[in-house]
Amino acid sequence: MAGAWIIADNREQTLELLTIGRELATTMGTKLTALLWQDQELADDYISHGADEILLLPPLPEDQPPGAYIPVIADEAQKKDPDIILMASTVRGKEMAARIATRLNTGLCSNCIALNLGEDGKTVEMERLVFGGTAVQKVTCTVRPAMATIPLKTFEPAVKQEGRQGDIRELPAPAPSPVKILERKPRETEAKDISESRIVVCVGRGIEKEEDLALARKLAHALGGEIGCTRPISEENHWLPEELCIGISGISVKPDLYIGLGISGQVQHVTGIRDAKVICAVNTDENAPIFAAADYGIVGNLYDVVPKLIEAFKT
Amino acid sequence: MPNIVVCFKWVIDEAYIRRGSSGELDFSSVSYKISDYDRNAIEEAVRLRNESGGRVAAVTVGSPEATKGLKDALSRGPDQAYFINDASFENIEPSQTSAILADVIGSKIEYDLIICGEGSSDLYTQQVGPRLAERLGIPCISFVLKLTIDGNHIIAERKVEDGVEVTAAPMPVLVTVLPDINTPRIPGVKDTLMASKKEVVNIAKDDLAQTYEPTLQTTAMTAASMERRCVKFGAEPGDIAGFVEALEKEGVLR
Ligand SMILES: Cc1cc2nc3c(=O)[nH]c(=O)nc-3n(C[C@H](O)[C@H](O)[C@H](O)COP(=O)(O)OP(=O)(O)OC[C@H]3O[C@@H](n4cnc5c(N)ncnc54)[C@H](O)[C@@H]3O)c2cc1C
Ligand SMILES: Nc1ncnc2c1ncn2[C@@H]1O[C@H](COP(=O)(O)O)[C@@H](O)[C@H]1O
Repeated sequence: MAGAWIIADNREQTLELLTIGRELATTMGTKLTALLWQDQELADDYISHGADEILLLPPLPEDQPPGAYIPVIADEAQKKDPDIILMASTVRGKEMAARIATRLNTGLCSNCIALNLGEDGKTVEMERLVFGGTAVQKVTCTVRPAMATIPLKTFEPAVKQEGRQGDIRELPAPAPSPVKILERKPRETEAKDISESRIVVCVGRGIEKEEDLALARKLAHALGGEIGCTRPISEENHWLPEELCIGISGISVKPDLYIGLGISGQVQHVTGIRDAKVICAVNTDENAPIFAAADYGIVGNLYDVVPKLIEAFKT
Repeated sequence: MPNIVVCFKWVIDEAYIRRGSSGELDFSSVSYKISDYDRNAIEEAVRLRNESGGRVAAVTVGSPEATKGLKDALSRGPDQAYFINDASFENIEPSQTSAILADVIGSKIEYDLIICGEGSSDLYTQQVGPRLAERLGIPCISFVLKLTIDGNHIIAERKVEDGVEVTAAPMPVLVTVLPDINTPRIPGVKDTLMASKKEVVNIAKDDLAQTYEPTLQTTAMTAASMERRCVKFGAEPGDIAGFVEALEKEGVLR
């Protein structure tokens, strides 16, 4: 038995995984299977985007987390023995992947940023970042199936092809999970997606008070850009939504211009701006690591420098 | 009164890793630290014990060099530590780490609640917690930003992409915690002195039920490169003008 499987929380991520899944399945001469539990109507949609087979999981009661599917998915994987299982690197996906990998007694490459089939046409070589982004680690799984979780936007979404055919199969309903969801509190504000922004002004802990974000916003406005932040600003201070957190555990950006204000430049953050064309930084500490990662740095107090920059960019 | 187990890792401080001339990693001047988010995990375990009673055992798997980490961990408030060590544990991967932890925790430690960090500072695989839960056959709640004990249940607020899920599970249960959950203490001199009096249980490779083979093999490890100009300006008017001019030349302004 063989096959490539993809498992994702929603349509957007499934389409991205269908791209890489299709590529692998075609090269390996095997079948591409997509799992589906959210909206059962999507089965044909996934087939037309590249899947050969859909495994339908029956909908769960309101209070059940998708983790309840783990035993059913692992049992089916044991029966069908796929070569590879790719899952979306989301909060739920990461937990499910680790637990499925444990049941299958196999290895899992978390947050895989690149994936290549080796010369033997079977071994999948996977890349990930370690030490906060200081290093790139290449791994292979020594046991079947190879498994990886893949961050959002690593691959382009699959395009629709007319006339594709595929099978739809139903998997059994899972036993209830001991974990129950008591309440879902949806996110209050939808943050902007800055991953494609041309200019990003990013704020760090050098900003003293929440009100002072206005200064960074003004600069972003003068440049026609968007605002982002470091993890302490979103996660500890809760001054900005975490979709704006740039770095290894946040988003990656690739603007033409990035300006970091009061950011020390630790590798976990800098990893997220690696693909920026020009990196600038304002920091009072001339030895701050951000200056080694920047093209143009200003050693100075942001409260003094930023108003001057706003003035200069206006003219 | 819950028995709480907290898992922590003693890691290389990534800030001291240098890039060698041919792109290799230079570890010659590194120092070590407790994995950043494991400080939150320990803090949360100690907070819950102070509130509900019970005991906190801190557990780590590592090479014998990780001894320093035990004192650091214990100075943060746990009652006792388990040190599962062998020279071969230096470079193990998450399926092995979690299997070794499950082996020891399952056979030697009483537990109602196990707390792990969201991810380790070095490998950041975010796997060890969920894998450990699966090995022990207990429920898992990951990425938790608020934790309460309610009778024999754990109530956890979990951060997901579309908001927050309030979840409940019967103990024993494993949770992985986000750094938002608390602010870790900075241990004082007294805490460090107290730490040296606390019990450390040493567990050797031979004390494990079996050996655990890797399922993931590292085929290469290279320094991520980032070449930048590194031009520095001051904050005087002339500097600001020079800075703006440089950006204009780069063609990155609209
Ligand atoms: C596993 C893991 C994952 C992580 N993931 C991320 C991530 O995805 N994104 C992320 O950002 N971080 C991440 N971090 C955290 C990261 O290690 C750093 O702690 C964080 O990036 C530091 O944020 P900062 O630069 O805003 O704050 P600090 O490090 O506190 O730096 C503040 C800087 O501001 C300067 N400053 C102070 N006042 C002024 C002033 N008036 N004018 C100018 N400069 C001033 C100071 O000199 C200092 O350099 C992660 C950490 C871990 C362990
Ligand atoms: N060697 C280890 N010893 C004890 N706990 C560990 C070890 N490695 C990882 N952990 C725990 O598992 C969490 C996730 O680690 P990781 O899967 O490596 O990202 C950490 O925050 C720790 O709580």
